[in-house]
Amino acid sequence: MSEMSEETFMGVPRDKIDWSPRIDYDKCNYCMECVEFCPHKVYEVRENEDKKLVVKNPDNCVVFCRACGKTCGVDALSFPDKGETTKKIKEIRKEM
Amino acid sequence: MSKSFAVLPCNGLDKCAGCISREIALKLAEKSESEIICPVLYRVADARYNKIIQEKHLLVIDGCQTRCASKLASEKGLKVAQKITVTEEAKNRGVDIGEPLKPGEKELELVEMVAAALLKQPEVENAPESKAIFPEHFDYEVYKKDKFKFRVPKEGFYFNENDCWAYVSGKTARVGVGDYVQQSLSDIMFFTPPTVGTDVEQFGELGTVESGKAVFEVVSPVSGKVIAINEELSSAPELINMNPYEKAWIAEIELTDLESDKELLLDFEGYFKVLKRKVDEFHVK
Repeated sequence: MSEMSEETFMGVPRDKIDWSPRIDYDKCNYCMECVEFCPHKVYEVRENEDKKLVVKNPDNCVVFCRACGKTCGVDALSFPDKGETTKKIKEIRKEM
Repeated sequence: MSKSFAVLPCNGLDKCAGCISREIALKLAEKSESEIICPVLYRVADARYNKIIQEKHLLVIDGCQTRCASKLASEKGLKVAQKITVTEEAKNRGVDIGEPLKPGEKELELVEMVAAALLKQPEVENAPESKAIFPEHFDYEVYKKDKFKFRVPKEGFYFNENDCWAYVSGKTARVGVGDYVQQSLSDIMFFTPPTVGTDVEQFGELGTVESGKAVFEVVSPVSGKVIAINEELSSAPELINMNPYEKAWIAEIELTDLESDKELLLDFEGYFKVLKRKVDEFHVK
């Protein structure tokens, strides 16, 4: 639910920050450990589709959190580069 | 005299990494006085292993990040002395482990390397004495929710939204995790420290703390070089549950650009608001 998302991160609108998990569908075995783990409703399960798991609410993801990735037995989750993300956030803040 | 362990491998039989965990356990038993705990038997009949668990250092070998062996150790309330994850060991050594359940040549090579590293006596290193001075106690504001208490130190700390803190003394900062982390994880059973001498970026990883529930990556509030780690946490990670702001600091960082780091850090006021919101929205239902 979007109202649950954090609207800003350090003053920067959350939707300007590209931080969320990427699912490698060649590796994912749909064990859904990540879904169970994340309290922020970042993922959505779609039982009847080919891709049974999607990143539904990327902006709900806590910026710099990679905790769901650490539950993944097959290492199917990856995240953007932290250094690049920090740099971008600082740039956006300067423009504001 | 070589080291010896009570080895608890995940022994996952339907995955390559699990099968490698078993091979490492066998190798350790062959090369040292180490003894193996069969996770399947241990789950149903632990009396068989209680003696070796008491007498030897417990080494947990997880195959993958599902952490079945760690979770078993947590369920049984065991004190973990050392821990490895096969997929991590493989990655660190540039070995690409595949699908085969019977380990092939490269998998066996990995087994040799990992076992040898585990059995190597640690070089006695005197950790450099910290020159910076840090207070031993702080004043806290407390936010209560049901039976949980969340403390936040009132002065002198910087926080990030990932619930990690930095306390600056001169050009050095101590960093650690906050009450939100330890309350969410509950009983912390293992601490993986960052490596002394490495550089860390702001928001970079400074080791991990874990419980039976989850692994938490320590997100560095500041950038700089790791100059010390809190050795006490390796043998007593439960200190983090007692108070994560005082004795249970994680590492000391030689600061490189605090002024720039501060742009993305919160003071007490700012963090207390974030914490309250998190607790209200997400903490233990």
